[in-house]
Amino acid sequence: MKTDAVRGHLDGLLLAVLEPGPLHGYAIIAAVQQRSDGALQLRTGTIYPALNRLERLGLLGSSWESVGERRRRCYRLTDAGRGSLESERTAWHEFTTAIGSVLNPAAGAPAPRPAS
Amino acid sequence: MNAHAADHAADHAMDPVADHVAALSAALHGPVRAKSRMIQEIRDGLTDTVEAHTRDGVPPDEAARLAVREFGTPEQLVPSCQRELTIAQARRTALSVTLTVPFLIACWHLIWTAGQGWQLQQTAQLVAVQLAAVAAVATLLMAAALAATGALARRLPTPERLPLAVAWAGTTAGVAMVVATLALAVLSPLATNWPLVTLAAMVTALSHGVVASSARACRRCARLPVAHGAGRG
Repeated sequence: MKTDAVRGHLDGLLLAVLEPGPLHGYAIIAAVQQRSDGALQLRTGTIYPALNRLERLGLLGSSWESVGERRRRCYRLTDAGRGSLESERTAWHEFTTAIGSVLNPAAGAPAPRPAS
Repeated sequence: MNAHAADHAADHAMDPVADHVAALSAALHGPVRAKSRMIQEIRDGLTDTVEAHTRDGVPPDEAARLAVREFGTPEQLVPSCQRELTIAQARRTALSVTLTVPFLIACWHLIWTAGQGWQLQQTAQLVAVQLAAVAAVATLLMAAALAATGALARRLPTPERLPLAVAWAGTTAGVAMVVATLALAVLSPLATNWPLVTLAAMVTALSHGVVASSARACRRCARLPVAHGAGRG
């Protein structure tokens, strides 16, 4: 999937992969790619300012932690972040339901009458 | 150039990650700590990507080139990184004003009420009141800017020109502090409580140094191109 298509949903993707627990930058990218089975291609550099922005909004917290042999900035979801993730999920569900009902109308639904 | 420096330069020239990080670092401007943290995270991310490619069997040189290509060019990344650094600089300026100005107004008020043995001329009183009013208005604007770029930005979009407004409000507060410092310096020999007035002048001058330098950096950041509509906040 193209980078531009993913960009509008970046906040939701980042919040979602942090839901199970704290991760550092590269692990977040790897988690998005793993969950999407490689279908979502993030331009990896874009996530760092996005993480900074979400932290400024209070949706993420962060701290330097030892991961392996190096210290890395690890991000975790805050309570406000969990609330925001739920809102993102609800909005995404409503959106896909609405689009799906147009693209794939139910078999039993009455077909629209052709314009006379 | 000595041999060691030449070797170092040659190593650097062959390291796409170091070149990429250096290019980003040169292009970005903002508070030292915020920029340093962002650059460190970017360097860590690139290093992790190189390691991941190397583990997959890609030769190290090719892994570094691949990591940089996946990361995005400086032209693609600088606007969104700079937006965060510009907002960080605006918040820093806003914080410096909201922390210093109420304290200074309290100091000036203390001098005013403690100076019972001397009276300011009517013109000087008028200037002092107007200075305090300018500083108070700037402080309110800064407090609003802090809210607008913090938790409030989850619901409301941050105005694109807010950092510029903060920069000029900070500059105005800085000018007010210069005028106040000069006024206090002129008044101190005339005041019965001159040590207190001199101390207040020094504190005001110090505050001016902090606020004016932050406002100057904010003006510079606010002139740089940034990404628009990158998401909430």
